[in-house]
Amino acid sequence: MTEQVAVLSTWQSEFKLRHPSMTYVEQAQEAAAGCMAKVGMCPDDIDAIVYSLAPTAFMGVADADRWAIDHIFGAGKPMLRVHTGGATGGSVVQAAHALVRSGMYRTVMIVGAERISETPDAQKVLNQIFDPFYEKDMPLQTITAVALMANTYMRRHGITQEDVARLVVRQRRNALLNPHAHLKGNITVDDVMASPMIAYPFKLFDICPRSSGGAAMIVGNMDAARQWQTRPAFITGVGAVSDSNWIGDRIVPSAEYDFIDWKLMRVAGRAAFERAGITDPIHQVQVAEVYDAFSIQGLTQLEQLGFCASGTGFLLEGEGAWEMDGGQVAVCPSGGTLCTNPIAVAGLVRAIEAANQVMGTAGGHQVKNVRRSLATAVGGIAQFLTCSVFSHEPYEAH
Amino acid sequence: MSKNLTPQSVITEEVTLRYDYALGEVAGTFMDGLKQRKILATRCSKSGMVYLPPRAFCERSFEKCDGWIEAGHEGVIEASTVVLRGFEGSRPPPIAVAFVRLDGVHSAIANYVEGLDLSDTERAMDRLAPGTRVRVQFVPEPQGRVTDFYFVLAQ
Amino acid sequence: MNCYVLGLALYPAVQRAAGHRLEEMVYHTAHAALDHAGIHRRELDHVTLGACDELDGRSISSMLLAMPAGAYLVDEIKVTDSAASALCLEVARLKSEEFDIGLVASWCKSSKTDVESVMRLRGEPFYTRPFGMNMTMSDAMLAQAVADQFGVSAAQADDRVVKAYARASANPRGLTQAVPTLAEVAASPYEATPLRAMHRAPLSDGAVCMVVASQRWLDRHPQHRPLARIAGVGWAADSYRLDRSRLRDFNSARKAWAQALRMADLPDASSVDVMELETPTVYHEAAYEQVLGLGASTQISPSGGAFAQNPLFCTGLVGAAEAVLQVAGQAGAVQVPGVRRAAAHSCHGYAQQGNVFMIFEGAAHD
Repeated sequence: MTEQVAVLSTWQSEFKLRHPSMTYVEQAQEAAAGCMAKVGMCPDDIDAIVYSLAPTAFMGVADADRWAIDHIFGAGKPMLRVHTGGATGGSVVQAAHALVRSGMYRTVMIVGAERISETPDAQKVLNQIFDPFYEKDMPLQTITAVALMANTYMRRHGITQEDVARLVVRQRRNALLNPHAHLKGNITVDDVMASPMIAYPFKLFDICPRSSGGAAMIVGNMDAARQWQTRPAFITGVGAVSDSNWIGDRIVPSAEYDFIDWKLMRVAGRAAFERAGITDPIHQVQVAEVYDAFSIQGLTQLEQLGFCASGTGFLLEGEGAWEMDGGQVAVCPSGGTLCTNPIAVAGLVRAIEAANQVMGTAGGHQVKNVRRSLATAVGGIAQFLTCSVFSHEPYEAH
Repeated sequence: MSKNLTPQSVITEEVTLRYDYALGEVAGTFMDGLKQRKILATRCSKSGMVYLPPRAFCERSFEKCDGWIEAGHEGVIEASTVVLRGFEGSRPPPIAVAFVRLDGVHSAIANYVEGLDLSDTERAMDRLAPGTRVRVQFVPEPQGRVTDFYFVLAQ
Repeated sequence: MNCYVLGLALYPAVQRAAGHRLEEMVYHTAHAALDHAGIHRRELDHVTLGACDELDGRSISSMLLAMPAGAYLVDEIKVTDSAASALCLEVARLKSEEFDIGLVASWCKSSKTDVESVMRLRGEPFYTRPFGMNMTMSDAMLAQAVADQFGVSAAQADDRVVKAYARASANPRGLTQAVPTLAEVAASPYEATPLRAMHRAPLSDGAVCMVVASQRWLDRHPQHRPLARIAGVGWAADSYRLDRSRLRDFNSARKAWAQALRMADLPDASSVDVMELETPTVYHEAAYEQVLGLGASTQISPSGGAFAQNPLFCTGLVGAAEAVLQVAGQAGAVQVPGVRRAAAHSCHGYAQQGNVFMIFEGAAHD
């Protein structure tokens, strides 16, 4: 027999470029302690830990989870560290989900932190993730690779840079209501267009910041929910998929899942939606916290998740479809990864925001009447995708 | 504690890690081919796929690739960008990069595109639009690195 | 939901896999495991990986290694603690009933990088890295603590080395190595006191893959006969600090073992006929024997354990493969007669900070 998986508590720090007065482990500690304290739990109430940590070259200590264990009150506990690049924060939620659903553990804490600015050369680190023979000699870092995809997508569907800029404007404005968000403000399309071009068509404002901070989430079974959380968010659907690393395989006619339209997201979404009993996303899901390190990425995911047809996401943006207030579905009411990207926990923050919306604890950027939300995460060059669904009601077999 | 002591706020350290990446069965052959101005792709007879960059096994059939094919020296741009902000350790910008599906091959391989005026980004992007045909050119003395060749516009 | 090992494969033990790139090692091993299980890659509904970026030499090594491990268009996740940890997460995934048949894959090419540099990088920068803490130093401090706590003399340590190599030499799946004499071991130079060079299991290159399936899948595919049932798993990680109690109490090992026994519904170590231990040094072996209460009825590391092959990150899962072969009656020259239950162990981090236990039972025959 399997267990329900309920989100009991969440916690996020303020995300910004630097936290100079704290060490890495102190950031992780703050998240762990804050998350437990919020619902009156103590370390003995946590049965197992899943640690969220992606490339460690940013903060300069290999396997920093091992160092952090004492600080997160985890010494002696079962701990696993998951690492799927940028998708790490989404994968840790799914690992914790398995630990509870299986009945192996009653409560699991998911925790992590990021310090991207410990090294000034984040992009150089990210360039190491490519194949050392074929792609390292070229500036195939993440920005360039996604720019390549974006150009083709925009030409294919007749989307302009201004169309995409409207999304940036909306999410920076959303972030004003989110005390944890890194970038926020009332900017205009002109502001986005005037920002320096980095790799065509991406200007500075089309790209996420490098954020530092910590985050944590505690999940548990129904019994644990009765004990600690009267209004949990249930994780009712999980899905994930990995594709080939070779971008050149994915943008050609013989690709099984066309990278340009990002068809791979369908696979992760379908798996999560089937489990969660979602057949009509636009009416059944009220909030989509999609992982959008680049402005092009959020709505392309939405299209493949079935909220609208391929190529229409940005046109609907122009019609206000994704607004927090009055839109059809609130897309990234938190501001999204576009405004806040602490790589090791970025996917976890999406899940936290999605869960908060269902639990009614999102604060200033709370959307009304959220019954279901989803969170996605992206790792590698859009190679590892996760999608998780949160619901106000427990999971029911379909 | 002396009043003149100020707390240190950072510890600085430079770390270098050395790695010896083995070329393996396939990359070695590819690099040798470059020295002879050949671009060698691998083929899987089970799935029929022809791959660049070459690889030891086919992801679809999960069988070893069992043949080598010389890729054509012309192909079509599948995706491109002009990079305007560089980073340490790479060529100074502006640079043009494209994924090109060479004739006879299913998957695209990336490299620099040379010979374009990049001062007008919009115009450069039009000239690099997906579907544009390009030609391969080799450097005068190939070293056995993927940058031994680059692309130029075909017409 | 019961879980079973359907097939497995080990990359042929080698000190230095010079001819193969890491991707190729992983591919060959994954393919061999699928063949052993009699299934095609397309039948997998998930993949669980265990690997370490720093040892692989890449920032996100699964970008290039997920596909060789069979993850193309499949739900894939990776843990970094140890290969055995990947098997533990795999068990949770199957028991969650969201998945039915998966591949666990792990690899390590320790010859390709300066391992101690990586270990040094694991030191936190304020108090630990400045004096160069690494694997040698931490294992030496463990050896010192174990010698005192468990009464292990240098002569006894030397003797364990010879016996371990003797067992390893009988294992067709191990490296081809000479069995040293007691005199040779006693004369090998100190690396960090009290550890002599020959007290330590030398590193090697390797990869290991297992195909694991749920009861539900087996019921639907009755023509498949599993090698073993995974009766129980347990894991735990200790404090990062290396003080006296940390080095002597073996707290995480005790907890992990208790968890595995509980899950397997077994009282103690007398219930297992074989225990494949991961022993970076023979002092580890001496300690675990006492900590886990291994008596005469439990054969320790008949495969030779880490002294047969030691691909560092995945040594513990290699031990698990050996344990599975024991209960399946397929261990060949090192088969222990009449094995009903075999356990495997993994340790990771400085001075066995983390421990993992896996208990396998012979699968019921019709």
